[in-house]
Order: sequence, then structure tokens, then C-alpha cells
Amino acid sequence: MADFVQLVILGLLAGGIYVAVGVGFGLVWGVLNIVNLSHGALVIIGGYITWQLFSALHIDPFLTLPVDAVALFVFGYLLQRGLINRIIRAPLLFTFLLTFGVNLVIVNILLLIFGSDFRSVTPSYSGQGIELGPIVIPYVSLFSLAVAIALSAALAFILNRTRIGLAINAIAADRDAAQLVGIDLRHAYAVTFGLGAACAGVAGGLIAMIQAITPTAGEPYTLQAFVVVILGGLGRVSATVVGGLAFGLVEAFGQSIPGSGSVFANAIAFGLMVLVLVTRPQGLLGRLR
Amino acid sequence: MNEAAAPQLELHGVTKRFGGVAAVDSVTFQIAKGEIVGIIGPNGAGKTTLLNCISGVHRLDGGDIKWEGVSIAGMPSYRIAKLGIGRTFQIVRPFGSMTVRENAAVGALFGNASGRRAPRAAFELADQVLELVGLKAKASLPVSALTIPDRKRLEVARAVAARPHLLLLDEVMAGLNNVEIDEALDMVRAVHATGVTVLLIEHVMRVIIGVCRRAIVLESGHVLAQGEPEVVLRDERVIQAYLGERFAKRLKS
Amino acid sequence: MIARAASIDRWRRLFVIVGAILVAYALLAPITSLDAAQSANVPLLADRLWFRIATIIAMFVVMATAWNIIGGITGYAAFGNVAFFGIGAYTTGMLVAKAKWPFLVALPLAPVVAAAFAALVGLPLLRLRGHYFAVASLGVGVAVGELVQNIDYNGQPVFGGASGLFLPIFAIDNRGLFFFYLMVAVAAVAIAVTWRVLRSRFGYGLIAIRENEEAAAVLGVNTTAYKVAAFALAAALTGLAGGIFSQWNVFINQDNAFPIEYNVQMILMALLGGTGTVFGPAAGAVLLQLLIQFLGGSLPISVDIPFVSVDARPIVAQVILGVLLVVVVIFVPRGVIDFFGGSSRLSWSYLRQSLRETSL
Repeated sequence: MADFVQLVILGLLAGGIYVAVGVGFGLVWGVLNIVNLSHGALVIIGGYITWQLFSALHIDPFLTLPVDAVALFVFGYLLQRGLINRIIRAPLLFTFLLTFGVNLVIVNILLLIFGSDFRSVTPSYSGQGIELGPIVIPYVSLFSLAVAIALSAALAFILNRTRIGLAINAIAADRDAAQLVGIDLRHAYAVTFGLGAACAGVAGGLIAMIQAITPTAGEPYTLQAFVVVILGGLGRVSATVVGGLAFGLVEAFGQSIPGSGSVFANAIAFGLMVLVLVTRPQGLLGRLR
Repeated sequence: MNEAAAPQLELHGVTKRFGGVAAVDSVTFQIAKGEIVGIIGPNGAGKTTLLNCISGVHRLDGGDIKWEGVSIAGMPSYRIAKLGIGRTFQIVRPFGSMTVRENAAVGALFGNASGRRAPRAAFELADQVLELVGLKAKASLPVSALTIPDRKRLEVARAVAARPHLLLLDEVMAGLNNVEIDEALDMVRAVHATGVTVLLIEHVMRVIIGVCRRAIVLESGHVLAQGEPEVVLRDERVIQAYLGERFAKRLKS
Repeated sequence: MIARAASIDRWRRLFVIVGAILVAYALLAPITSLDAAQSANVPLLADRLWFRIATIIAMFVVMATAWNIIGGITGYAAFGNVAFFGIGAYTTGMLVAKAKWPFLVALPLAPVVAAAFAALVGLPLLRLRGHYFAVASLGVGVAVGELVQNIDYNGQPVFGGASGLFLPIFAIDNRGLFFFYLMVAVAAVAIAVTWRVLRSRFGYGLIAIRENEEAAAVLGVNTTAYKVAAFALAAALTGLAGGIFSQWNVFINQDNAFPIEYNVQMILMALLGGTGTVFGPAAGAVLLQLLIQFLGGSLPISVDIPFVSVDARPIVAQVILGVLLVVVVIFVPRGVIDFFGGSSRLSWSYLRQSLRETSL
């Protein structure tokens, strides 16, 4: 029983990261209809910003998260405005290839700058945690989950309560109609992508505290973000939150199966995804669009 | 025309719902081989949904459809096409990367299972069909070079090249001007003259009166009336429920 | 108009002639390395390194041409075709290394197993469209590689595990030459298959599916069967290349049999050359693979990239590849073949128009 509780807690804590990684990815996919294969690269940029600020200036890593968000927002805005907007009406294959190309460039430039050494962010409280009987809940994981939930709430607030958010929703519903009522598509698209990138940046900051990072460490997160969004259902922030936590749980329980270890993480994730896609394409919570 | 033979197409209580709303609600009628039948009705009456049910695009929620005595309900589209039921789409769906001739040839390569052709023979048939619909001169053009009326012709040509026994035409005259409608009417008559049963959905009254021996009026998914077009269109219920006073006046004048 | 058509014709003829000469050279040059040729004092036109690269190029010609069948002709953006390459490699590898079958007997099973696997996963996956199909197929590619590396039975890795699988060396004279011509033969088969498909009922059905699946279905195209068949055909060809690769390379593991980057490379090659065409993917494969080899510094002709140390060179090569990907996707969406054989000329207005067609 304690094992079970421990697995649930570990799964939910791990799920926090997946929520953070998934919300930005889901936003870009749902609104712009782009599966952003450079999402993992954006995540890892955030990770390096946090690492740089922590190791050079000794800033508490959680305080670097706003810097990640702002820096990635600007980067994402420019990326969308400068490149991705140019192929937004092209067939889907092109958006795939373009974002993959961007991914390749980012990852390799990071390799040129930082090398392929593992970098980790270890504040004084890393390794400490709350002890609940036999179970230890690390502070970092707990804070990360809280940040991920807060991030999702902030994103939901922006989308539902602000002017630009309503514009983004209008675009997601009907691009042409949105343009007719006077929404500046190029700007709104760029803001959307910027928001998605900002979420990725925050996720990267969190990831840097939990695992050692290298420039290529972001790549698995692109695929996992996809699985999370599929699991929850495309189109709503809350669905992605559920998808991310569910994915964390599935992973925790999958890894606990004796013998399989963690080596089948991808296989389990993708098996699950294909199962969901084929049986319930709208996701656990989503509405069919 | 209407010999004592068994009907070619029978619809019995055909029902299709979308989220609780019945777009087509227990529709029953029969069509004999060689007829031209028109289906009319206001927007949202369920005309296109009914066509989608017959051609297997939608699954039925109730009722049965029989083709030459055999149930085709639940069959995938391609098998229905192989049995010899062809159709056009209201919003034309040409194969954009192909030429006009290739579009028609796809119909000839597939379609009715009896008499499927090898590529060379399919292109010959495509040429014949393009001549029939008046697109022969444009056979080698890409689809993007066609005008809207020509695209509608191509949609019909592709369906005809599939050698159907029954052709379902979904508003092929919508958006055409009077001259173009006359040409299109000639085209439908020419296709019918080759022995094809025709079921056509139309908004344009002139078309129904011009070519159909029989009209079926749909309203909110129900069959409201059926019979000779002139008689049906004078039916009090039809005038009230569908045509409205504006159309009624126009018809009488 | 006529003058323009004539000039396009001249371009096309020139292109075909140059292409034929290059292909002839590439096919014949390796023969000069035979002992008989050397003892007859024929100048050495290609050494071992050259035909190792040429074999890799032929391998990518197969993969890009095969991808074109499902991705270009049928219009389903398959992102996991490397799974078929790996399955082909491991099928032949296992039969040769563990069951001790002769290579040439084991090889025909590579395409069979790959195609069977494609049909099996294709049935559910090909019901998905757009992004969903693309990423689900990518997921299959990743998952298969992981399973092959990690499946244990009684504590023993079934497929060689993380340490990979070693095959006995295939005993034949002029081994490098043998595998080069074998791979080229498969490439020729892949191109011939594409040529044949595009002229058949099957091919017209696939293009109809790409252009409008529902319209294809009501015309009588059995869309499910056609899509699965196209997927399996692509898998068979890719698997055959994988089977040859396993014996040629003698060693296979997850990294060289299931490299994720091949997925994108084969698509980029097809795109570069022109999707849906017979020779486009092959031409794209030659161009891109030569570029990759050149940037990686493996070609005998090599240029120093300024300000870049030797160590950083592979990384810079990747950056250049990424930039190339972006540029091709944005500016040359119809492929470069279009400039030679097709209807377009390389000009500023072409680039501007490409940009305008797709941008916001």
C-alpha cells in the first residue's frame, strides 16, 4: 500500500514536468496547427538560461524562471514572425520539417556554446524534502509541480481573460473569420508561439533542477509533450494538465513493473498514445473538433 | 419506363442522427431502373445527408437501403461504388494535381466493378465521357485552370466514367447562370440517355421540372410529398412548408 | 510561349544527358578497382572509400524513393520509416548471426517481415490523418528500436541487446563492390517500382487518396487496402535496404539500425528532389547525402570551413543542414528537380511566389 501511495506521489510529481512541457506545445498545436518539433530545443534553452544564471550569478533557480519565460517569449515571437509564419499555409509536412530544422540548428549551436557536458543545477535545498513516513517528497519536485500548475493557470487566464487571449481563441476557432473582425494574424500568431515558447522555457528551468542537462536532453520532451497533449485532448489547458499528470502516473507505474525498468519508457508512452489515438482520438477530456 | 420490375433502389425508414438531431428521419421511397428522380427541399432538409447515406459516406442509424434487392446499409463507400452507384459532391472535389483527363480516368479505372478497365482503356473512356460533358477541348488542362461550371462538369464526368447504373447528383447546377443550366440539363439528359438511372438533388426548380418525371420533397428529414413535379409543386403543404410565397408566385407566373 | 517550351525542353535534355553521364560514371568507376583492371593498368577511378560512400548514397536512394510511395504519392506523412530499415536489418542479422542462414537466403525475408509489420501497424495507424499519423508513425519508429534493444528472454537479450549484433563476414571476392552493386540494384528496383506504380490503377488510386480521400472512396477506391498496401510496399523496399546494410556493415545495433535522423533525412531528400515523382527522391538523396558527407569531411574533396576547428566540424555540419532544411522548406517547396525537368525556372520571382503561396 505504501508502495502504491509512493508511486502515485512520484507519478504526480513527475507529471508536473510533463504538464509544464505539454501546455506550451498544446497551445501552439491547437491554435496554429503546428506540431512544433523544436519544442524540446526551446525547453533546453530555458534549462541553460537557468543553469547559467545559477552557476555564474548564484541566483536561486526558481527565481530564474521568469527570465526563462521572458527570454523564450521573445525568441519564440521572433521565430514565428520570421520563419514559421512563412509556411503557415503550406502542407503539414513542411511545418514538420521546418521546425525540425530549427531544432537541429538550436541544439547544435548549444553544443558549440556549452559542449556536450552534463550540467546540473543544485541549490542548497536540492536533495532535501518532506518526510511522510517512509516516503520522501523532494522540495524541488514539489515546487516544480506547484510552478507547473501555476503556469497552466496563468496561461488559462491569459487565454480566457485578456484581449490577446480572446484573439488567440478566435483564431483557433476560425482563422478567416478572426481576420475579418480585424485581428492582426501575424502578431497574434507570433504571440501564441511566444507564449508556447515561454512555457517551454519555464519547463526547461524546472527540468534543469531535476536532471542533468545536455543540449540534446530536450529531444525526448518533444515526443512526450505530444503524448501528453494527445492523452488529455487538444484545445484546452485543463485537458493538458490532466494529460500531463496521467502521463506521469503511467510512467511511474510502468517503471515499477519488475524487469522492464525504465528502458521501455518510450515504448510504453507511444503504445499508450497509439491506443488513445485509435480508440479515443479526442483524448481523455477533449472535445472532437 | 415503370415496368412491373422490382425497384432498383429501395429506401426503407432510413434515419441518420447527428448528436440527437435527426437530419434524415425514416425516409422511405423507391426508384425504378431508368428513372430520373429529383429530390427537393429547403436548406437543411437533409438532402445531402440522404445522399451520403446512400453512397456509404455516413452510417445509418436506422432503416435499410437495398440495391437491386440486396441490403447495402453499412457497406463502405468503395463497395457501394463497385456495385454501380456513383455520385458527385455539392462542393466539387477534383483531384487537384491531375489533369482533367486524368480525373475522369480515375473514375474509369475504378467505379463499377463490372467493366473496370486497364489504364489505356480507361483513358479512352475518359475521353468519351469528357466529350459527353463538353470538356474535351480542356482535357489536358490542370484542374486549377477550370472555371466553376467546368469543374462541376468534371465532377459529373468523373462520376459518369465510373459507369454507374445509378448516378446521384448533388446540386450540380447550383451557382450556374441560365445558359449554363441549359447546358447542364442537356448533359444530364445525355447521361440518362445512356441508360443510367439518375437521382438528383436540386434547388433550382426549373431543373426539376425540366428533366424529372418524379420529384420527392424533403422537409426536416421527412418525405413531405412525392409525385410528378408539376403536381407536387402545386401541393398546398409543399408550397407552405418549403417554397414560401415568393417561389409560389414565381412558379405561377 | 513556344520559345519558353523549347528552352525548357533543351534544359530537360541537358539535364538527362548530364544525369546519365554521372550515373554511368558512378556505376562503372568502381570496376576499375578490380585486380584485373588494375593489372591491365586501367586508371583507378574509385577507391574503397568512394564506394563505401556510394553504397550509402544508394541506400538513401532506396529509402527516399520508398518513402515517396507512402509520403509523396499517397500523401501520408510517415515519420517512422526507419523502423522498417531496422526491422529489415535485424531480420537478416538475426537469421545470419543466430540461425546461421546464408546471407542470400536470409535477405529476402527482410522485406517480407518489414512489410508484414507495416501492414500490421498500418491498419490502425492509417486511420489517423495529418499530424496524428505523422507522430504516431514516429512513435512506432522510436518504440520498435527501443524494444529491439531491450527485449530480454531468460535474462539474455534476444536481439543482441545494447552491445548489438555481429554478423559473420560474407565470404566473397571484392566484397565492397558486391554490396555496392547489390544496393544499386535495389535502388533501381525501387525506382522501377515507383515508375510502374505511377502508371497503374494502384498509383492513380493512391494519388486520388492524396488529393481527396472521400472522393476516391465514392469512386470505388478501397482506400484502406490501398493505403496499407502503399505503406507495406514502402516498408518492403526500406527493409530490403536494411537487410543489405546489416550484412554489409557486419555489425548492427539500435543506433545504426534505427537512427531517428534517417526519418527526416529521407523526407528531406524526397522533398528536395520533388515528391510524387519517379526520379526526384533519388536525385534528392544523391544531392543531400553528398552534402552530408562533404560537410562531415568524408569526401576526398574537402574544404575547410573558416573559423571552425576540426572537432566542431560535425556540429557545424548539422547547423548547416538545419539551415538548409529551413531554406528548402520555405523557398523551394516543389523541389529542385522542378527547375530542371519540370515547368519552373530558378528565379527570384519563383522564390517570391513560393513564399507568398504559403506565408501568412
